[in-house]
Amino acid sequence: MWTEWTLPKNEGTRIHRFGKAMLCVSADMAGEGDVLAAMPFYPESSHAQSASGRKKAPPALCLPPLADPAWTRYYMGKTQEYRLSPGYPTLPVCIRLRESFSLPPGADIQGWIFSHIEARIMVGGALVASFPLRKPFKTMYGTPESGVVCRFDEADFLDISEPTLDSLHQDPALVAHPVRLKNSSLEPVLVSELCIYGEQLSVYGVGTSMQSERLSFVFSESGVRMRLDGQGALPPKAILLTKPKVSGEERFIERSFELFKAMTRL
Amino acid sequence: MEETIDAAAAAKSAERGGFWDLLPDDGILGRLFTFDSVLTTFKVVLAIVLGLMAVGLVVTVLKRVTRKSLDARTSSLVVKIVQYLGLALIAINAFDAANVDLSALLGAAGIAGIALGFAAQTTVSNFISGFFLVSEKTFSQGDVLNVDGTVGVVHSVDALSIKLRTFDNQLVRIPNEILIKAKVINITRFPARRLNIDLSVVYGTDINTVRRVLMEVADQNQEVLRNPEPLFLVKRFGDNAIEILYGVWLPKEDWLKGLNSIHVDIQRHFAQEGIAFAFPTMTIHMPAAKKGER
Repeated sequence: MWTEWTLPKNEGTRIHRFGKAMLCVSADMAGEGDVLAAMPFYPESSHAQSASGRKKAPPALCLPPLADPAWTRYYMGKTQEYRLSPGYPTLPVCIRLRESFSLPPGADIQGWIFSHIEARIMVGGALVASFPLRKPFKTMYGTPESGVVCRFDEADFLDISEPTLDSLHQDPALVAHPVRLKNSSLEPVLVSELCIYGEQLSVYGVGTSMQSERLSFVFSESGVRMRLDGQGALPPKAILLTKPKVSGEERFIERSFELFKAMTRL
Repeated sequence: MEETIDAAAAAKSAERGGFWDLLPDDGILGRLFTFDSVLTTFKVVLAIVLGLMAVGLVVTVLKRVTRKSLDARTSSLVVKIVQYLGLALIAINAFDAANVDLSALLGAAGIAGIALGFAAQTTVSNFISGFFLVSEKTFSQGDVLNVDGTVGVVHSVDALSIKLRTFDNQLVRIPNEILIKAKVINITRFPARRLNIDLSVVYGTDINTVRRVLMEVADQNQEVLRNPEPLFLVKRFGDNAIEILYGVWLPKEDWLKGLNSIHVDIQRHFAQEGIAFAFPTMTIHMPAAKKGER
């Protein structure tokens, strides 16, 4: 899936499926060159079940004409290939845990969480467009006066050393994050959401799934601090799919510290 | 006797020698270009040149330092103050080098200062108000302000005033003195804002249904933040309607988009659920007319 594709010139619209989300790619003529047109499609959840509880048939995919502004259009000229690659949203991602829990003082646990990635379309190494693989919603991490506007996501916290790749987590739109949670305060802290700066993270392909570097969240009286956990080793057969947009742990710490300052009003 | 005088002049001339021979003592140039006057001029020029270099160096360093640590307005003000102070010091130093008695000058400057103070009262007031505004950090360039009903984006922040660019693309200059006295609302100070919508629904509407529908509207709208949660408040049973306050949080960047879409969504959902908006109505009860009365 995350590979090079030829422009669908004589086959109508190509549908790339990422779990429930779809990425539609089409080709349009523009003089002697070609135009790539792309748009995401998210099925409405309300169509999934009828009032009687029986599953409805999915609605027919009805796409707008290529001139519609819903399509992102890019002039490719003579280039015939485009590449799909996974990427994190530009905004930080705030993952709300479906089941929040209290972390006792001094606790240091490891586990996994999952977040939705975006599908990037690259032409000749240049980023053409990036589409969320889930209908994008926003949320506020922190308070309205000092928080950060983030992309909203929901996940379970799996308190296990290796991710259980059950059917729930086989979604190709998900990336797994190994996390370490530490409570350095003297009081228990309620862990209900975790904020991730994706632009500093890589995406690694591990078999059919994807994962990032290990993240460390340290909770203290003054707030929570996030950083890359240098102790976390990657699986032996991990392949680098996407490099971080902003490289270097220093930047990651810097951004985390900015967030920390904003949240604690230092 | 004449010989004696000539001999003394010759001796003096021999002492000076060279360049000074070109400037006879009794000529204008001779009186101006004495050794002392040249030395004094050199001292003044040196004081000015060295002073300007020092001020230039300090200002350059200060610009670099303040650019990182302060906002544009504060940085510009600090630099300007240092620049003016530096120039004043250069002037005092140059007068001192020229052996000018500053006491008379300062006395005159005091009188001139009073006169100027009266003349430039507003300007000085604006300038000083600027410092208070800077110290309060109420706004910065790019913020959206509402100053006594004038709404616009802060286009520039200057020593005496700020310039707002209104949304219909007009430039409004507001003196700092007015800003100090006026009620200034910084609309975009925080990352999110709550959009408050007053709704009136007809009596007979199930309030729980209204609540459920409005929560669905917030849940399905992509502009609305999931956290903080929407506000639903039954304000009162009004004369003609049940009055409700509905508030959703929007990121400041998506304010206009959200403002439009939320209203459209509410209308659509209310129509789907059969919830009617209320409008002023009056019910008149007529007592039954008695027999024989007209």
